[in-house]
Amino acid sequence: MSSSGASDGRTSAASGSLVIPGDKISSDTSDQLGHGVIKLNGELIATKLGYLVEKSGEISIIPVHTAYFPRPGDLVIGYIEGMRSNIWFIDLNAPFNAILPMSLAPMKVEYGGTRDAMDVGTTILCRVQEVDEAHSSVVTMKGMGLRKVNSGFVDTIPPHLVSTISSGSNTIINQLKDASNCRIILGANGRIWVDGEPDGIRMVRDALAFVRDNEHSTELADAIAGQLANGNGE
Amino acid sequence: MAQPLVPELLRAHLTELATRDQRADGRGQWEGRELSVEVGVLDRAEGSAKVQMGDTIVFCGIKFQLQTPYPDRPDEGGLMTSAELRPLAGRHIEPGPPSPESIEIGRVVDRGIRESGCINTKDLCIIPGEKVWQVIIDCFAISDDGNLFDAFGLAAIAALHNATLPGERFDVGEDRKLPVNKTPIMCSYQKVGGRFVYDSNREEEVGGDERIHITLGEDDHVHSLQKGLKGVFSASEFVEIMDAAKQRCAELRKIVDSL
Amino acid sequence: MGYGDVQMIDENGNRIDGRKAGDIRPIEIEMGVVPVADGSASMRWGTNYVIASVYGPMEAHPRKIQRQERAVLDVRYNMAPFSTTDRFRPGFNRRSREISKVTADALESVVLLELYPRSKIRVEIEIICAEAGTRCVGLTAASLALADAGIPMTDMVVSVASGKINGVVVCDLNKEEDNYGAADLPMGVLPNTGELVFLQMDGDLSPSEFQEAWDYNMEAALKIHELMKEAIANKYGGAQ
Repeated sequence: MSSSGASDGRTSAASGSLVIPGDKISSDTSDQLGHGVIKLNGELIATKLGYLVEKSGEISIIPVHTAYFPRPGDLVIGYIEGMRSNIWFIDLNAPFNAILPMSLAPMKVEYGGTRDAMDVGTTILCRVQEVDEAHSSVVTMKGMGLRKVNSGFVDTIPPHLVSTISSGSNTIINQLKDASNCRIILGANGRIWVDGEPDGIRMVRDALAFVRDNEHSTELADAIAGQLANGNGE
Repeated sequence: MAQPLVPELLRAHLTELATRDQRADGRGQWEGRELSVEVGVLDRAEGSAKVQMGDTIVFCGIKFQLQTPYPDRPDEGGLMTSAELRPLAGRHIEPGPPSPESIEIGRVVDRGIRESGCINTKDLCIIPGEKVWQVIIDCFAISDDGNLFDAFGLAAIAALHNATLPGERFDVGEDRKLPVNKTPIMCSYQKVGGRFVYDSNREEEVGGDERIHITLGEDDHVHSLQKGLKGVFSASEFVEIMDAAKQRCAELRKIVDSL
Repeated sequence: MGYGDVQMIDENGNRIDGRKAGDIRPIEIEMGVVPVADGSASMRWGTNYVIASVYGPMEAHPRKIQRQERAVLDVRYNMAPFSTTDRFRPGFNRRSREISKVTADALESVVLLELYPRSKIRVEIEIICAEAGTRCVGLTAASLALADAGIPMTDMVVSVASGKINGVVVCDLNKEEDNYGAADLPMGVLPNTGELVFLQMDGDLSPSEFQEAWDYNMEAALKIHELMKEAIANKYGGAQ
């Protein structure tokens, strides 16, 4: 790795360089510390493997890989992993599970009737309601569009790619919707629900596999457009 | 091994695809994933192979030990196979003593090798009644994206063909190539979405049902069979996968014999 | 045969594999070698071949191992059965347990565990081919796999050992040197601060020999750190 930036061994925050944990960072303009940057013994230190970015006074790292971390308000796709008489335990592809209390279910449930309403293995569209200091988290299914999912398929991408495929003017997700004629809902936790004809689902899954394999390509959106035009799900 | 959470949607999707004669990754019913086999990859093993099938990666190493033969078979050496599913190879593999799954794989691979007669245990005799070789086949998973059975089976026979008896190191004569007379090949089929497919990947394993493992030798001789996991199958289904296995085993045997 | 009976270094200061006293063995690093893992790396270091993979952070099971204020780091060091000249018998092994523990202690000193209360991060180190210094290779590979998995750390960990053969202090002992060597000093160094998170020693070193071995390790750690950066840049590119 070329030591872009200062000769004192610090990587300039403005350079967009790849940094690894422990690398010292320098900045002339920013003093806010964002994702992956800490101050230790008076030095700015990278704690993650990723690319430096400097935006509106904040230095942060776009990590090459990261786990999904639930935040209140996130729309996520969960799997029911277990239940008690009045709550369900939800797998969110996160470092800790969430609970869904009976009172936040989309249907009326009697005490002890959780399993009849939604059994283990059920896929749900839900929203993160609360995450406390000790990482107890609560999801809700009260709200527009939040429900049990009965058809289609759920694919997964690494959570750090969620913004990659959902940002820009013509997002990769929109391209996929148009090309495949599928309904697609992208969860903030990297799970993607795709519903439509099997050929359409195949097309979307192939494109997502391409995204996973070529995540570091700068012209990813163009490459996907090309793939959708050529491949047509074949 | 931890019981994986099986989303209902996955099973329903796999069934829908099966009714259309499709698989989730676009393969045909009897089509395997991209395959590579390399031999001589482990510096400390007397024979070795690395097999990659899609994102499934395994090693097999052959080691030899001296042992005293059994009194009733004074001129025959020994053969042992073990398969290790270390938690390195997948989130679903839990640490701890060997799981029933890993013991099953090791025993199925062992039976295919042993019953094919590819190793003549009399070739392992050094001094009758006193000293014989024991061949130890160690299968080791690096990345489990499904169908470790076939990956281990292929790595084991490829590593045996690559092995040298270390006579000099043990001071019992010169080094010589381990005689391997045949090439038994295992092919595994799993019922996914209501029909059998070849070489199931991890997603198909999680959303699928019973598996059948077939080891065939030269001239389609059957050397080992194993039905695993919950599920029922019919005689006609078995005939169908046996036909598929005959073809695929012959293809894979050519690959191993050409290494 | 006792210490010093076998000539391991000639009058010109050349070691049996041609290295000078302060040289390390050739090192090759590859990132992302376990496709199903959250992060992984392999190191070929001399004829050592080590693969490390990382899973998590994930929900910690069983619940009794959960810590309310931080993540737990679950580290396993293991020798593959074909990693040694005589087959290494799988199963419980006191040496592997100790190395797993000190490796975990070293990594816990840099991983920002407090960011993941109640979770578990699994670190799996497998010695595929053992020469000498496998604990050092394992610890270094584990820090690469953690970085690859996006686990936040205050620094990488670089581990290397120096020792003494024929009365001469040398860096990064190979197998023969290790067999006949008179001392072994493995260290785990944070390359950006020069601090240590791992230290063991056995054998016999005078104060000046000890200092020399220490200095060799520090120098070697910086060289290896550069190789780690190169390997990561090879996988992820220099800038975005």
